[in-house]
Amino acid sequence: MQTNRLGCLTVTGVVSVFITVCAILGFALFNGGQMFTAGALNAQQGDNYGGVTSHAQIQECSACHVFPLGAQTMADRCAVCHTDIAAQMFDVAQLHGAIKQKNAALACRDCHPEHRGETASLTELGDNEFPHEALGFSLNGHPLTAATCSDCHGDDVSTFSPAACDTCHRQLDVVFTQSHVLSFGNDCLACHDGVDRFGDDFTHSAFVFKLDGEHAEAACTKCHLDARTIVDLQSAPQDCFSCHQQDDEHSGRFGQDCSACHSPSGWQPAKFDHNLSAFKLEGEHAEAKCEQCHVDNVFKGTPTDCYSCHQKDDEHNGAYGTDCGGCHNPNDWEDASFDHNLSNFPLTGAHVNTACEKCHTGGQFKGLDSSCVSCHADPDFHAGAFNTDCASCHNTSNWNQASFNLSHPEPRAEEGGSGINHGGATCRQCHPSTVYQSSCTACHEGGFEGGEGGDD
Amino acid sequence: MLRGGKELWLAVLAGILITGVYGAVVLFTRKIPAAGELFGHLLGIFGFLLMLMTETLYSLRKRTRSARWGRMSSWLQFHIFTGLVGPYMVLLHTSWKFNGIAGVTTLFTLIIVISGFIGRYIFTRIPRTLDGLEIEGTLSESALRQARQLMSLWHAVHIPIGMVLFVTAFVHMGGALYYATFLK
Repeated sequence: MQTNRLGCLTVTGVVSVFITVCAILGFALFNGGQMFTAGALNAQQGDNYGGVTSHAQIQECSACHVFPLGAQTMADRCAVCHTDIAAQMFDVAQLHGAIKQKNAALACRDCHPEHRGETASLTELGDNEFPHEALGFSLNGHPLTAATCSDCHGDDVSTFSPAACDTCHRQLDVVFTQSHVLSFGNDCLACHDGVDRFGDDFTHSAFVFKLDGEHAEAACTKCHLDARTIVDLQSAPQDCFSCHQQDDEHSGRFGQDCSACHSPSGWQPAKFDHNLSAFKLEGEHAEAKCEQCHVDNVFKGTPTDCYSCHQKDDEHNGAYGTDCGGCHNPNDWEDASFDHNLSNFPLTGAHVNTACEKCHTGGQFKGLDSSCVSCHADPDFHAGAFNTDCASCHNTSNWNQASFNLSHPEPRAEEGGSGINHGGATCRQCHPSTVYQSSCTACHEGGFEGGEGGDD
Repeated sequence: MLRGGKELWLAVLAGILITGVYGAVVLFTRKIPAAGELFGHLLGIFGFLLMLMTETLYSLRKRTRSARWGRMSSWLQFHIFTGLVGPYMVLLHTSWKFNGIAGVTTLFTLIIVISGFIGRYIFTRIPRTLDGLEIEGTLSESALRQARQLMSLWHAVHIPIGMVLFVTAFVHMGGALYYATFLK
């Protein structure tokens, strides 16, 4: 058969095209677009949305599929039934809102493919980047372990139980996980955000409180006791004393800033500043060797009184007591400043210029009798008429400025006298040798009229 | 020259090449290339274009008396080559799912390839010049008549199958564009 007509224009060709078109149209009439289906719709039963409990119950393709040139999108059709998800889209704090914010161009079907069979999963991210970190937990640290959502979320991706962390991490390291949960609780997400901020790459050096020396070896809970959140962790005190109070062998005497002397490398050796102690090192003390005071390496409880160390140096043989500091200073023994007035015998009047040895005979400085008579013997002039309390009549400036306070009968008033103050005479004017001898004539030579020297 | 079967070997070679690429994609992506994704789409589009060329070019050349457009035997070889490689690419495009109109299209693709094989062997029973003209006198009159009848019958079946195939293919493409490619 040799014909010049094109094959499609032959009778059989045209008829076959006609029959095919009719068949397709007929099928379309009864089944709509179902001949184009790429696979069965998901038939798993779920909640009732838009009157159906599974996609498989939807008969109309146009329930989900839109006219490509129309204004609507498939996502709009999804939202018609899935009103709860549609609401989430406006809330960045929720799963779908966070996704929408991260990638506004992402369509529902990019993560929720259909037509993949009755039992196929309706959620498959594929290469789409799911902004998991937008929900507070990045998957950067779990690229290999978390292969699918259900690995951590189980059947419902909208929920998460930290038990999922526990299950896997116990398998990875049971000892660590167990102690970690005991120390910090089981609400993993309270601290961990998946960026490994507190994971394997965690370094305490990123924070103000660097872990040097012994601190690097310390268990976390030593400082972060009962921490359950990041705020708890961050509120751990950073001053030494908050943690080391119970370690303070100085009983607080050296203050609370341990680092002034100690370093995190160890309590020993300490760079001790003696001047922070109760006993400041001044003068010669600063030059002294530690062991001169701290015998046998005993640093605690060392007495701070002078005499404990300087008894052997006491040239006064204890005569001045044990408080060397009363007169001496740490610069020089010789540079002593004794203030006699601080003693129970203040030096006044003629006592001021009296040589020490006049009273402190034989090098005796202590236990001296402070009574007048211990130095000043009762003079013959008194002839034993008075007691030994010189100070009752005398002062320390001058013996002769005595003021006689006892009764003095002579000369009687009828004799023209006025008791002790007889014409303003001094004792010795009337009593030239002793108080028991008196002479009127020394003044009254010419008679008693006219007073002294007079002839009355 | 069809007796050497050069076009068959070339088609097998092309098939191996395509299979290699397909295998590499499967290995790389760890899944069967979906019909609607880049590689699957390319397979479908180029496979279809080859099939379209299979249909149209040879048919047009047959109806051109001028030898300017190359020898008929070369065109038939090209027809057979594209008629094998094209369907093979289309088969890979299916991602091994044969639902709906797409499945029907695949079925008709398979049928027409088988039909083409049958036709090739009927065709070669009639001695021809390189330009496809029958050489008279080499076969007995009865044998020649029988061969011509068979060839005519085959044509009457092969062409409608092709027509059905192209109608379903175009409908499939329309549906795919509407329901998948241009989805919003």
